[in-house]
Amino acid sequence: MARRARRSRGSWIVAIVLIGAIAVTIVPLLWLMLVTLQRPRAIITPGWTFEFSLDNLASVFAPNAVYGTQVLNSVILVIAATALCLIISALAGYSLSQMAWSRRTVIFILTLAGLLQVIPPMTLVPGLFATLTTYGLGGLPALILLNTVFNLPFAVIMTKFYFDSLPSELRESASIDGASEFGIFRRIMLPLAAPGIAAVAIFTAIQVWNEFLFGLVFTTGGTESPITVGIATLIQPQEIKWGGMAAVGTVTAIPIILLAVVANRQIVAGLTRGAVKG
Amino acid sequence: MTTALRAGSGLTRPARSRRRKPFPWFKYLTIAPLAIFFVAFIAFPVGQLVWMAFGDVRMRAGELTWDFSGFDNFARMLRDNVFATAIGNSLVFIVSTVVLTLVLGVVLALATDRLVRTQQLVQNILIWPAVMAPVVISVVWLLILSPQIGLLNRILASIGLPAQTWLGDRFGAMASIILVDVWHWTPIVFLFVYTALRGLDSSVIEAASVDGASWWQTTRHVVLPLLAPAIMGAAAIRIIMGVKAFDEMYLLTFGGPGTATTVISIHLRNVFFESFEYGYGAALAVTVVLLVMVVLVLAFVFQALLRRASRG
Repeated sequence: MARRARRSRGSWIVAIVLIGAIAVTIVPLLWLMLVTLQRPRAIITPGWTFEFSLDNLASVFAPNAVYGTQVLNSVILVIAATALCLIISALAGYSLSQMAWSRRTVIFILTLAGLLQVIPPMTLVPGLFATLTTYGLGGLPALILLNTVFNLPFAVIMTKFYFDSLPSELRESASIDGASEFGIFRRIMLPLAAPGIAAVAIFTAIQVWNEFLFGLVFTTGGTESPITVGIATLIQPQEIKWGGMAAVGTVTAIPIILLAVVANRQIVAGLTRGAVKG
Repeated sequence: MTTALRAGSGLTRPARSRRRKPFPWFKYLTIAPLAIFFVAFIAFPVGQLVWMAFGDVRMRAGELTWDFSGFDNFARMLRDNVFATAIGNSLVFIVSTVVLTLVLGVVLALATDRLVRTQQLVQNILIWPAVMAPVVISVVWLLILSPQIGLLNRILASIGLPAQTWLGDRFGAMASIILVDVWHWTPIVFLFVYTALRGLDSSVIEAASVDGASWWQTTRHVVLPLLAPAIMGAAAIRIIMGVKAFDEMYLLTFGGPGTATTVISIHLRNVFFESFEYGYGAALAVTVVLLVMVVLVLAFVFQALLRRASRG
Protein backbone atom coordinates (compact mmCIF):
# COMPACT_ATOMS: atom_id res chain seq x y z
CA MET A 1 0.00 0.00 0.00
CA ALA A 2 1.30 3.37 -1.02
CA ARG A 3 1.00 5.10 2.33
CA ARG A 4 3.21 2.50 3.98
CA ALA A 5 5.86 2.64 1.29
CA ARG A 6 6.16 6.40 1.66
CA ARG A 7 9.14 7.08 3.88
CA SER A 8 9.49 10.35 5.69
CA ARG A 9 11.53 12.09 8.33
CA GLY A 10 9.38 10.45 11.02
CA SER A 11 10.69 6.97 10.31
CA TRP A 12 13.54 7.15 12.84
CA ILE A 13 11.03 8.05 15.58
CA VAL A 14 9.05 4.96 14.59
CA ALA A 15 12.21 2.88 14.78
CA ILE A 16 13.11 4.20 18.24
CA VAL A 17 9.59 3.64 19.61
CA LEU A 18 9.40 0.08 18.30
CA ILE A 19 12.94 -0.94 19.23
CA GLY A 20 12.21 0.41 22.71
CA ALA A 21 8.93 -1.53 22.91
CA ILE A 22 10.56 -4.75 21.74
CA ALA A 23 13.40 -4.30 24.26
CA VAL A 24 10.90 -3.70 27.08
CA THR A 25 9.07 -6.85 25.99
CA ILE A 26 12.09 -9.09 25.67
CA VAL A 27 14.55 -7.95 28.37
CA PRO A 28 12.34 -9.09 31.30
CA LEU A 29 11.98 -12.51 29.66
CA LEU A 30 15.72 -12.78 29.00
CA TRP A 31 16.36 -11.89 32.64
CA LEU A 32 13.99 -14.68 33.70
CA MET A 33 15.94 -17.18 31.63
CA LEU A 34 19.28 -15.79 32.80
CA VAL A 35 18.29 -16.23 36.47
CA THR A 36 17.07 -19.74 35.65
CA LEU A 37 20.51 -20.67 34.28
CA GLN A 38 22.40 -18.81 37.02
CA ARG A 39 24.22 -20.64 39.83
CA PRO A 40 21.99 -20.24 42.93
CA ARG A 41 24.78 -18.54 44.88
CA ALA A 42 25.30 -15.99 42.10
CA ILE A 43 21.60 -15.07 42.07
CA ILE A 44 21.86 -13.45 45.49
CA THR A 45 25.23 -11.80 44.84
CA PRO A 46 25.01 -8.12 43.88
CA GLY A 47 26.62 -7.02 40.63
CA TRP A 48 26.67 -8.69 37.25
CA THR A 49 28.44 -12.03 37.62
CA PHE A 50 27.01 -14.89 35.58
CA GLU A 51 27.89 -18.49 36.37
CA PHE A 52 26.15 -21.00 34.16
CA SER A 53 24.52 -23.94 35.95
CA LEU A 54 21.51 -26.20 35.59
CA ASP A 55 21.11 -26.50 39.38
CA ASN A 56 17.82 -24.58 39.46
CA LEU A 57 16.18 -26.70 36.80
CA ALA A 58 17.60 -29.88 38.34
CA SER A 59 16.35 -29.04 41.85
CA VAL A 60 12.87 -28.21 40.61
CA PHE A 61 12.48 -31.36 38.55
CA ALA A 62 14.18 -33.75 40.95
CA PRO A 63 12.20 -36.99 41.40
CA ASN A 64 11.03 -36.01 44.90
CA ALA A 65 9.79 -32.55 43.87
CA VAL A 66 6.11 -32.05 43.01
CA TYR A 67 6.62 -29.76 40.02
CA GLY A 68 7.03 -32.54 37.45
CA THR A 69 3.68 -33.96 38.57
CA GLN A 70 2.15 -30.50 38.41
CA VAL A 71 3.34 -29.93 34.84
CA LEU A 72 1.73 -33.27 34.00
CA ASN A 73 -1.47 -32.15 35.77
CA SER A 74 -1.47 -28.97 33.69
CA VAL A 75 -1.05 -30.97 30.49
CA ILE A 76 -3.94 -33.29 31.43
CA LEU A 77 -6.03 -30.28 32.42
CA VAL A 78 -5.36 -28.52 29.11
CA ILE A 79 -6.13 -31.58 26.99
CA ALA A 80 -9.28 -32.58 28.88
CA ALA A 81 -10.76 -29.09 29.30
CA THR A 82 -9.97 -28.03 25.73
CA ALA A 83 -11.44 -31.24 24.29
CA LEU A 84 -14.62 -30.95 26.36
CA CYS A 85 -14.93 -27.28 25.52
CA LEU A 86 -14.51 -27.91 21.79
CA ILE A 87 -17.05 -30.75 21.68
CA ILE A 88 -19.69 -28.80 23.56
CA SER A 89 -19.10 -25.54 21.71
CA ALA A 90 -18.98 -27.16 18.27
CA LEU A 91 -22.35 -28.81 18.92
CA ALA A 92 -23.91 -25.73 20.49
CA GLY A 93 -22.40 -23.28 18.00
CA TYR A 94 -23.69 -25.40 15.12
CA SER A 95 -27.08 -25.70 16.73
CA LEU A 96 -27.42 -21.96 17.33
CA SER A 97 -26.20 -21.15 13.84
CA GLN A 98 -27.98 -23.76 11.70
CA MET A 99 -30.88 -25.36 13.55
CA ALA A 100 -33.54 -22.67 13.20
CA TRP A 101 -33.68 -21.54 16.79
CA SER A 102 -35.83 -18.50 17.33
CA ARG A 103 -33.97 -15.20 17.28
CA ARG A 104 -34.96 -14.62 20.88
CA THR A 105 -33.40 -17.89 22.08
CA VAL A 106 -30.15 -17.22 20.23
CA ILE A 107 -29.88 -13.70 21.65
CA PHE A 108 -30.69 -14.99 25.14
CA ILE A 109 -27.94 -17.62 25.04
CA LEU A 110 -25.38 -15.27 23.51
CA THR A 111 -26.18 -12.56 26.07
CA LEU A 112 -25.82 -15.08 28.88
CA ALA A 113 -22.47 -16.16 27.45
CA GLY A 114 -21.37 -12.54 27.07
CA LEU A 115 -22.38 -11.72 30.65
CA LEU A 116 -20.36 -14.63 31.96
CA GLN A 117 -17.26 -13.11 30.38
CA VAL A 118 -17.88 -9.83 32.16
CA ILE A 119 -18.40 -11.10 35.70
CA PRO A 120 -15.20 -11.35 37.77
CA PRO A 121 -14.56 -15.09 38.36
CA MET A 122 -13.73 -14.37 41.99
CA THR A 123 -17.34 -13.33 42.67
CA LEU A 124 -18.55 -16.78 41.62
CA VAL A 125 -16.03 -18.61 43.80
CA PRO A 126 -18.22 -18.67 46.95
CA GLY A 127 -21.12 -20.18 44.99
CA LEU A 128 -18.83 -22.61 43.14
CA PHE A 129 -17.25 -23.61 46.44
CA ALA A 130 -20.66 -24.49 47.87
CA THR A 131 -21.69 -26.24 44.64
CA LEU A 132 -18.55 -28.38 44.44
CA THR A 133 -19.06 -29.32 48.10
CA THR A 134 -22.63 -30.35 47.24
CA TYR A 135 -21.53 -32.43 44.24
CA GLY A 136 -18.59 -33.89 46.22
CA LEU A 137 -16.18 -32.78 43.49
CA GLY A 138 -12.61 -31.64 44.01
CA GLY A 139 -9.08 -31.71 42.67
CA LEU A 140 -8.26 -32.14 39.00
CA PRO A 141 -11.75 -33.32 37.86
CA ALA A 142 -13.30 -30.20 39.37
CA LEU A 143 -10.70 -28.01 37.68
CA ILE A 144 -11.34 -29.68 34.31
CA LEU A 145 -15.05 -28.97 34.59
CA LEU A 146 -14.62 -25.38 35.79
CA ASN A 147 -12.08 -24.54 33.10
CA THR A 148 -14.44 -26.01 30.53
CA VAL A 149 -17.39 -23.96 31.75
CA PHE A 150 -15.57 -20.66 31.92
CA ASN A 151 -14.09 -21.03 28.44
CA LEU A 152 -17.40 -22.10 26.92
CA PRO A 153 -18.89 -18.61 26.42
CA PHE A 154 -16.06 -17.47 24.17
CA ALA A 155 -15.86 -20.82 22.38
CA VAL A 156 -19.60 -20.97 21.70
CA ILE A 157 -19.76 -17.38 20.44
CA MET A 158 -16.74 -17.84 18.15
CA THR A 159 -17.95 -21.19 16.80
CA LYS A 160 -21.46 -19.90 16.22
CA PHE A 161 -20.19 -16.97 14.18
CA TYR A 162 -17.86 -19.23 12.25
CA PHE A 163 -20.74 -21.56 11.31
CA ASP A 164 -22.75 -18.46 10.35
CA SER A 165 -20.14 -17.65 7.73
CA LEU A 166 -20.61 -21.02 5.97
CA PRO A 167 -23.11 -21.18 3.12
CA SER A 168 -26.33 -22.82 4.29
CA GLU A 169 -27.06 -24.26 0.82
CA LEU A 170 -24.51 -26.97 1.59
CA ARG A 171 -26.63 -28.23 4.44
CA GLU A 172 -29.80 -28.12 2.37
CA SER A 173 -28.38 -29.98 -0.60
CA ALA A 174 -26.87 -32.63 1.63
CA SER A 175 -30.16 -33.19 3.39
CA ILE A 176 -31.91 -33.55 0.02
CA ASP A 177 -29.34 -36.22 -0.79
CA GLY A 178 -30.59 -38.07 2.26
CA ALA A 179 -27.82 -37.43 4.75
CA SER A 180 -28.80 -37.54 8.40
CA GLU A 181 -28.55 -34.41 10.53
CA PHE A 182 -25.59 -35.85 12.41
CA GLY A 183 -23.97 -36.94 9.16
CA ILE A 184 -24.24 -33.41 7.74
CA PHE A 185 -22.74 -31.97 10.90
CA ARG A 186 -19.95 -34.50 11.22
CA ARG A 187 -18.95 -34.94 7.56
CA ILE A 188 -19.68 -31.61 5.90
CA MET A 189 -20.07 -28.69 8.27
CA LEU A 190 -17.51 -29.63 10.94
CA PRO A 191 -14.60 -30.04 8.47
CA LEU A 192 -15.49 -26.69 6.90
CA ALA A 193 -15.42 -25.04 10.32
CA ALA A 194 -12.02 -26.53 11.16
CA PRO A 195 -10.02 -23.26 10.86
CA GLY A 196 -12.37 -21.49 13.26
CA ILE A 197 -12.35 -24.41 15.66
CA ALA A 198 -8.53 -24.54 15.53
CA ALA A 199 -8.36 -20.90 16.60
CA VAL A 200 -10.77 -21.62 19.46
CA ALA A 201 -8.72 -24.67 20.46
CA ILE A 202 -5.41 -22.81 20.62
CA PHE A 203 -6.89 -19.90 22.47
CA THR A 204 -8.72 -22.14 24.96
CA ALA A 205 -5.61 -24.24 25.56
CA ILE A 206 -3.59 -21.11 26.41
CA GLN A 207 -6.29 -19.87 28.76
CA VAL A 208 -6.43 -23.21 30.59
CA TRP A 209 -2.65 -23.54 30.81
CA ASN A 210 -2.45 -20.02 32.29
CA GLU A 211 -5.40 -20.35 34.67
CA PHE A 212 -4.54 -19.65 38.30
CA LEU A 213 -7.53 -18.57 40.41
CA PHE A 214 -9.57 -21.79 40.34
CA GLY A 215 -6.44 -23.87 40.75
CA LEU A 216 -5.52 -21.82 43.78
CA VAL A 217 -8.86 -22.00 45.57
CA PHE A 218 -9.95 -25.51 44.60
CA THR A 219 -6.73 -27.48 45.08
CA THR A 220 -4.35 -27.66 48.01
CA GLY A 221 -1.11 -26.84 46.21
CA GLY A 222 0.38 -30.35 46.24
CA THR A 223 0.43 -33.19 43.71
CA GLU A 224 -3.11 -32.46 42.50
CA SER A 225 -2.44 -28.83 41.53
CA PRO A 226 -1.58 -27.39 38.13
CA ILE A 227 1.87 -25.84 37.65
CA THR A 228 0.60 -22.25 37.97
CA VAL A 229 -0.34 -23.01 41.57
CA GLY A 230 3.02 -24.74 42.01
CA ILE A 231 4.80 -21.50 41.12
CA ALA A 232 2.73 -19.64 43.69
CA THR A 233 3.88 -22.01 46.43
CA LEU A 234 7.46 -20.96 45.62
CA ILE A 235 6.58 -17.31 46.23
CA GLN A 236 6.30 -17.20 49.99
CA PRO A 237 6.43 -13.79 51.68
CA GLN A 238 9.02 -15.04 54.20
CA GLU A 239 11.34 -16.79 51.83
CA ILE A 240 11.28 -16.71 48.05
CA LYS A 241 13.18 -19.53 46.35
CA TRP A 242 14.48 -17.37 43.52
CA GLY A 243 16.20 -20.00 41.41
CA GLY A 244 13.41 -22.56 41.65
CA MET A 245 10.79 -19.92 40.99
CA ALA A 246 12.59 -18.70 37.88
CA ALA A 247 13.07 -22.27 36.64
CA VAL A 248 9.39 -23.19 36.96
CA GLY A 249 8.46 -19.82 35.44
CA THR A 250 10.65 -20.48 32.42
CA VAL A 251 9.27 -23.98 31.93
CA THR A 252 5.71 -22.61 32.09
CA ALA A 253 6.41 -19.70 29.75
CA ILE A 254 8.36 -21.39 26.97
CA PRO A 255 5.62 -23.62 25.47
CA ILE A 256 3.27 -20.64 25.29
CA ILE A 257 5.80 -18.32 23.66
CA LEU A 258 6.66 -21.02 21.11
CA LEU A 259 2.95 -21.38 20.41
CA ALA A 260 2.65 -17.60 20.03
CA VAL A 261 5.38 -17.68 17.40
CA VAL A 262 4.05 -20.69 15.50
CA ALA A 263 0.29 -20.17 15.71
CA ASN A 264 0.32 -16.39 15.61
CA ARG A 265 -2.63 -16.06 13.25
CA GLN A 266 -5.00 -18.17 15.37
CA ILE A 267 -3.90 -16.44 18.55
CA VAL A 268 -4.47 -13.01 17.05
CA ALA A 269 -7.96 -14.09 15.99
CA GLY A 270 -8.64 -15.36 19.49
CA LEU A 271 -7.22 -12.34 21.27
CA THR A 272 -9.01 -9.72 19.20
CA ARG A 273 -12.35 -11.48 19.50
CA GLY A 274 -12.04 -13.02 22.92
CA ALA A 275 -10.03 -10.52 24.87
CA VAL A 276 -12.83 -10.08 27.39
CA LYS A 277 -11.41 -13.09 29.12
CA GLY A 278 -8.02 -12.89 30.72
CA MET B 1 -19.18 -34.45 -1.83
CA THR B 2 -22.29 -36.54 -1.28
CA THR B 3 -20.33 -39.75 -1.82
CA ALA B 4 -18.55 -39.03 1.43
CA LEU B 5 -21.84 -39.10 3.26
CA ARG B 6 -23.07 -42.03 5.18
CA ALA B 7 -26.69 -42.04 6.11
CA GLY B 8 -26.04 -43.25 9.58
CA SER B 9 -26.33 -42.78 13.25
CA GLY B 10 -30.10 -43.21 13.39
CA LEU B 11 -29.89 -40.50 15.99
CA THR B 12 -32.11 -38.14 14.09
CA ARG B 13 -34.31 -40.74 12.47
CA PRO B 14 -36.93 -41.86 14.89
CA ALA B 15 -39.76 -44.04 13.63
CA ARG B 16 -41.85 -41.00 12.93
CA SER B 17 -39.46 -39.64 10.31
CA ARG B 18 -42.01 -40.18 7.53
CA ARG B 19 -44.22 -37.47 9.02
CA ARG B 20 -43.64 -34.10 7.45
CA LYS B 21 -42.24 -32.45 10.55
CA PRO B 22 -40.51 -34.89 12.86
CA PHE B 23 -39.51 -33.70 16.30
CA PRO B 24 -36.14 -31.94 15.81
CA TRP B 25 -34.11 -34.17 18.11
CA PHE B 26 -30.81 -33.01 16.75
CA LYS B 27 -31.58 -29.38 17.43
CA TYR B 28 -32.14 -30.06 21.12
CA LEU B 29 -29.46 -32.71 21.54
CA THR B 30 -26.75 -30.39 20.22
CA ILE B 31 -27.58 -27.63 22.67
CA ALA B 32 -28.12 -29.98 25.63
CA PRO B 33 -24.48 -30.31 26.79
CA LEU B 34 -24.10 -26.54 26.91
CA ALA B 35 -27.37 -26.17 28.77
CA ILE B 36 -26.40 -28.87 31.29
CA PHE B 37 -23.00 -27.28 31.97
CA PHE B 38 -24.48 -23.82 32.36
CA VAL B 39 -27.18 -25.01 34.73
CA ALA B 40 -24.85 -27.20 36.80
CA PHE B 41 -21.88 -24.83 37.02
CA ILE B 42 -23.35 -21.36 36.55
CA ALA B 43 -27.04 -21.19 37.41
CA PHE B 44 -26.81 -23.51 40.41
CA PRO B 45 -23.70 -21.80 41.90
CA VAL B 46 -25.23 -18.37 41.35
CA GLY B 47 -28.34 -19.59 43.15
CA GLN B 48 -26.22 -20.85 46.02
CA LEU B 49 -24.31 -17.58 46.06
CA VAL B 50 -27.50 -15.56 46.49
CA TRP B 51 -28.79 -18.04 49.09
CA MET B 52 -25.53 -17.79 51.07
CA ALA B 53 -25.66 -14.01 50.92
CA PHE B 54 -28.84 -14.04 52.99
CA GLY B 55 -27.55 -16.42 55.63
CA ASP B 56 -25.08 -17.04 58.39
CA VAL B 57 -23.03 -19.76 56.70
CA ARG B 58 -20.51 -21.89 58.56
CA MET B 59 -18.42 -24.92 57.81
CA ARG B 60 -19.04 -27.72 60.32
CA ALA B 61 -17.36 -31.07 59.80
CA GLY B 62 -17.04 -30.59 56.07
CA GLU B 63 -20.69 -29.56 55.67
CA LEU B 64 -21.91 -26.03 55.07
CA THR B 65 -24.65 -24.98 57.50
CA TRP B 66 -26.97 -22.06 56.84
CA ASP B 67 -29.14 -19.96 59.15
CA PHE B 68 -31.31 -17.22 57.75
CA SER B 69 -29.94 -13.79 58.61
CA GLY B 70 -31.85 -11.47 56.29
CA PHE B 71 -29.90 -8.45 55.15
CA ASP B 72 -27.31 -8.65 57.97
CA ASN B 73 -24.50 -9.46 55.53
CA PHE B 74 -25.38 -6.51 53.34
CA ALA B 75 -25.69 -4.14 56.31
CA ARG B 76 -22.22 -5.21 57.41
CA MET B 77 -20.78 -4.05 54.12
CA LEU B 78 -21.50 -0.44 55.06
CA ARG B 79 -19.27 -0.82 58.13
CA ASP B 80 -16.50 -2.62 56.24
CA ASN B 81 -13.77 -0.03 55.74
CA VAL B 82 -11.57 -2.46 53.81
CA PHE B 83 -14.32 -2.93 51.21
CA ALA B 84 -14.44 0.84 50.68
CA THR B 85 -10.63 0.89 50.42
CA ALA B 86 -10.75 -2.01 47.97
CA ILE B 87 -13.21 -0.20 45.71
CA GLY B 88 -11.01 2.91 45.86
CA ASN B 89 -7.90 0.88 45.04
CA SER B 90 -9.68 -0.85 42.17
CA LEU B 91 -10.74 2.52 40.76
CA VAL B 92 -7.17 3.89 40.93
CA PHE B 93 -5.86 0.69 39.35
CA ILE B 94 -8.48 0.55 36.59
CA VAL B 95 -8.25 4.22 35.59
CA SER B 96 -4.43 4.25 35.47
CA THR B 97 -4.01 0.95 33.65
CA VAL B 98 -6.79 1.64 31.12
CA VAL B 99 -5.44 5.09 30.24
CA LEU B 100 -1.82 3.95 30.03
CA THR B 101 -2.48 0.80 27.99
CA LEU B 102 -4.72 2.75 25.59
CA VAL B 103 -2.15 5.46 24.95
CA LEU B 104 0.76 3.04 24.57
CA GLY B 105 -1.27 0.56 22.53
CA VAL B 106 -2.39 3.22 20.06
CA VAL B 107 1.14 4.62 19.73
CA LEU B 108 2.58 1.15 19.08
CA ALA B 109 -0.14 0.34 16.55
CA LEU B 110 0.44 3.59 14.63
CA ALA B 111 4.20 3.02 14.69
CA THR B 112 4.00 -0.62 13.57
CA ASP B 113 1.65 0.35 10.75
CA ARG B 114 4.36 2.68 9.40
CA LEU B 115 6.89 -0.15 9.06
CA VAL B 116 7.64 -1.40 5.60
CA ARG B 117 8.94 -4.96 5.82
CA THR B 118 9.08 -6.06 9.46
CA GLN B 119 5.43 -5.58 10.44
CA GLN B 120 4.68 -9.28 10.95
CA LEU B 121 7.79 -9.87 13.06
CA VAL B 122 7.18 -6.83 15.28
CA GLN B 123 3.53 -7.75 15.78
CA ASN B 124 4.52 -11.30 16.65
CA ILE B 125 6.97 -10.24 19.38
CA LEU B 126 4.86 -7.44 20.81
CA ILE B 127 1.97 -9.77 21.71
CA TRP B 128 4.06 -12.20 23.77
CA PRO B 129 3.15 -10.73 27.16
CA ALA B 130 -0.57 -11.10 26.41
CA VAL B 131 -0.36 -14.89 26.02
CA MET B 132 1.79 -15.53 29.08
CA ALA B 133 0.36 -16.75 32.37
CA PRO B 134 -0.19 -13.99 34.95
CA VAL B 135 1.69 -16.24 37.36
CA VAL B 136 4.75 -16.28 35.12
CA ILE B 137 4.53 -12.53 34.63
CA SER B 138 4.50 -12.12 38.41
CA VAL B 139 7.66 -14.23 38.61
CA VAL B 140 9.31 -12.17 35.88
CA TRP B 141 8.57 -8.92 37.67
CA LEU B 142 9.51 -10.21 41.12
CA LEU B 143 12.93 -10.95 39.64
CA ILE B 144 13.07 -7.36 38.39
CA LEU B 145 11.52 -5.49 41.33
CA SER B 146 13.03 -7.42 44.24
CA PRO B 147 15.02 -4.99 46.41
CA GLN B 148 17.76 -7.59 47.09
CA ILE B 149 18.25 -9.46 43.82
CA GLY B 150 16.18 -7.51 41.29
CA LEU B 151 17.34 -6.23 37.93
CA LEU B 152 16.19 -2.66 38.56
CA ASN B 153 18.17 -2.18 41.74
CA ARG B 154 21.23 -3.74 40.11
CA ILE B 155 20.95 -1.17 37.33
CA LEU B 156 20.48 1.63 39.88
CA ALA B 157 23.55 0.42 41.79
CA SER B 158 25.61 0.29 38.60
CA ILE B 159 24.91 3.92 37.79
CA GLY B 160 25.41 4.95 41.41
CA LEU B 161 21.81 5.56 42.48
CA PRO B 162 20.39 4.35 45.82
CA ALA B 163 18.35 1.13 45.94
CA GLN B 164 14.55 1.42 46.01
CA THR B 165 12.07 -0.82 47.85
CA TRP B 166 9.60 -0.87 44.89
CA LEU B 167 6.89 -3.25 46.17
CA GLY B 168 7.72 -2.43 49.78
CA ASP B 169 5.96 0.92 50.28
CA ARG B 170 2.34 1.91 49.68
CA PHE B 171 2.92 4.14 46.68
CA GLY B 172 5.59 1.93 45.12
CA ALA B 173 3.41 -1.18 45.43
CA MET B 174 0.46 0.37 43.61
CA ALA B 175 2.75 1.90 40.98
CA SER B 176 4.45 -1.47 40.51
CA ILE B 177 1.28 -3.49 39.95
CA ILE B 178 0.07 -0.81 37.54
CA LEU B 179 3.38 -1.07 35.67
CA VAL B 180 3.13 -4.87 35.53
CA ASP B 181 -0.46 -4.74 34.30
CA VAL B 182 0.47 -2.20 31.62
CA TRP B 183 3.33 -4.45 30.48
CA HIS B 184 0.99 -7.44 30.43
CA TRP B 185 -1.98 -5.92 28.58
CA THR B 186 -0.74 -3.11 26.32
CA PRO B 187 -0.38 -5.83 23.62
CA ILE B 188 -4.16 -6.41 23.66
CA VAL B 189 -4.88 -2.76 22.93
CA PHE B 190 -2.07 -2.71 20.37
CA LEU B 191 -3.53 -5.73 18.59
CA PHE B 192 -7.07 -4.35 18.62
CA VAL B 193 -6.08 -0.98 17.20
CA TYR B 194 -3.54 -2.48 14.80
CA THR B 195 -6.11 -4.92 13.37
CA ALA B 196 -8.58 -2.06 12.93
CA LEU B 197 -5.89 0.09 11.34
CA ARG B 198 -5.05 -2.59 8.78
CA GLY B 199 -8.74 -2.84 7.96
CA LEU B 200 -9.15 0.86 7.20
CA ASP B 201 -9.87 1.94 3.66
CA SER B 202 -6.49 3.26 2.55
CA SER B 203 -7.97 5.43 -0.21
CA VAL B 204 -9.40 7.84 2.39
CA ILE B 205 -5.98 8.23 3.98
CA GLU B 206 -4.25 8.60 0.63
CA ALA B 207 -6.74 11.28 -0.38
CA ALA B 208 -5.81 13.23 2.74
CA SER B 209 -2.09 12.99 2.09
CA VAL B 210 -2.52 13.92 -1.58
CA ASP B 211 -4.25 17.05 -0.32
CA GLY B 212 -0.97 17.91 1.37
CA ALA B 213 -1.82 16.91 4.94
CA SER B 214 1.16 15.88 7.07
CA TRP B 215 1.32 12.42 8.69
CA TRP B 216 0.31 13.91 12.02
CA GLN B 217 -2.59 15.87 10.49
CA THR B 218 -3.86 12.79 8.67
CA THR B 219 -3.56 10.71 11.83
CA ARG B 220 -5.17 13.28 14.08
CA HIS B 221 -8.09 14.24 11.83
CA VAL B 222 -8.70 11.15 9.70
CA VAL B 223 -7.20 7.98 11.16
CA LEU B 224 -7.92 8.41 14.88
CA PRO B 225 -11.60 9.29 14.36
CA LEU B 226 -11.94 6.20 12.15
CA LEU B 227 -10.28 4.12 14.86
CA ALA B 228 -12.56 5.46 17.62
CA PRO B 229 -14.84 2.38 17.70
CA ALA B 230 -11.86 0.03 18.04
CA ILE B 231 -10.34 2.18 20.78
CA MET B 232 -13.67 2.32 22.63
CA GLY B 233 -13.97 -1.45 22.34
CA ALA B 234 -10.46 -1.91 23.69
CA ALA B 235 -11.27 0.47 26.55
CA ALA B 236 -14.37 -1.52 27.50
CA ILE B 237 -12.41 -4.76 27.51
CA ARG B 238 -9.61 -3.26 29.57
CA ILE B 239 -12.08 -1.94 32.16
CA ILE B 240 -13.62 -5.40 32.53
CA MET B 241 -10.16 -6.93 32.87
CA GLY B 242 -9.36 -4.36 35.54
CA VAL B 243 -12.40 -5.37 37.60
CA LYS B 244 -11.37 -9.02 37.31
CA ALA B 245 -7.71 -8.41 38.22
CA PHE B 246 -6.47 -10.79 40.89
CA ASP B 247 -3.43 -12.93 40.07
CA GLU B 248 -0.68 -10.30 40.00
CA MET B 249 -1.76 -8.55 43.19
CA TYR B 250 -2.11 -11.87 44.95
CA LEU B 251 1.40 -12.93 43.97
CA LEU B 252 3.34 -9.65 43.96
CA THR B 253 1.93 -7.78 46.94
CA PHE B 254 -0.74 -10.00 48.55
CA GLY B 255 -2.85 -6.84 48.70
CA GLY B 256 -0.25 -5.06 50.81
CA PRO B 257 1.61 -3.36 52.28
CA GLY B 258 -1.32 -3.02 54.65
CA THR B 259 -4.27 -2.61 52.32
CA ALA B 260 -2.45 -0.46 49.74
CA THR B 261 -3.12 -2.84 46.83
CA THR B 262 -6.16 -4.71 48.17
CA VAL B 263 -8.44 -4.59 45.15
CA ILE B 264 -11.97 -6.02 45.04
CA SER B 265 -11.01 -9.60 44.11
CA ILE B 266 -8.29 -9.73 46.79
CA HIS B 267 -10.70 -8.53 49.46
CA LEU B 268 -13.29 -11.12 48.40
CA ARG B 269 -10.69 -13.85 48.64
CA ASN B 270 -9.54 -12.73 52.08
CA VAL B 271 -13.08 -12.57 53.46
CA PHE B 272 -13.84 -16.02 52.09
CA PHE B 273 -10.59 -17.94 52.60
CA GLU B 274 -8.83 -16.09 55.44
CA SER B 275 -11.75 -15.08 57.68
CA PHE B 276 -14.04 -17.93 56.48
CA GLU B 277 -16.99 -15.52 56.43
CA TYR B 278 -18.89 -17.42 53.74
CA GLY B 279 -22.17 -15.51 54.05
CA TYR B 280 -20.51 -12.12 54.09
CA GLY B 281 -18.21 -13.08 51.20
CA ALA B 282 -21.24 -14.13 49.16
CA ALA B 283 -23.00 -10.82 49.93
CA LEU B 284 -19.90 -8.94 48.77
CA ALA B 285 -19.77 -11.02 45.59
CA VAL B 286 -23.45 -10.38 44.84
CA THR B 287 -22.90 -6.66 45.36
CA VAL B 288 -19.88 -6.58 43.04
CA VAL B 289 -21.79 -8.44 40.32
CA LEU B 290 -24.70 -6.00 40.68
CA LEU B 291 -22.28 -3.05 40.50
CA VAL B 292 -20.76 -4.44 37.29
CA MET B 293 -24.27 -4.87 35.83
CA VAL B 294 -25.25 -1.30 36.73
CA VAL B 295 -22.08 0.07 35.10
CA LEU B 296 -22.76 -2.05 32.00
CA VAL B 297 -26.34 -0.84 31.69
CA LEU B 298 -25.21 2.77 32.18
CA ALA B 299 -22.54 2.30 29.49
CA PHE B 300 -25.14 0.94 27.05
CA VAL B 301 -27.54 3.80 27.80
CA PHE B 302 -24.72 6.32 27.43
CA GLN B 303 -23.70 4.78 24.11
CA ALA B 304 -27.27 4.85 22.83
CA LEU B 305 -27.66 8.49 23.86
CA LEU B 306 -24.38 9.38 22.14
CA ARG B 307 -25.48 7.67 18.97
CA ARG B 308 -28.81 9.47 19.02
CA ALA B 309 -27.10 12.82 19.67
CA SER B 310 -24.62 12.31 16.82
CA ARG B 311 -27.49 11.51 14.46
CA GLY B 312 -28.85 14.92 15.40
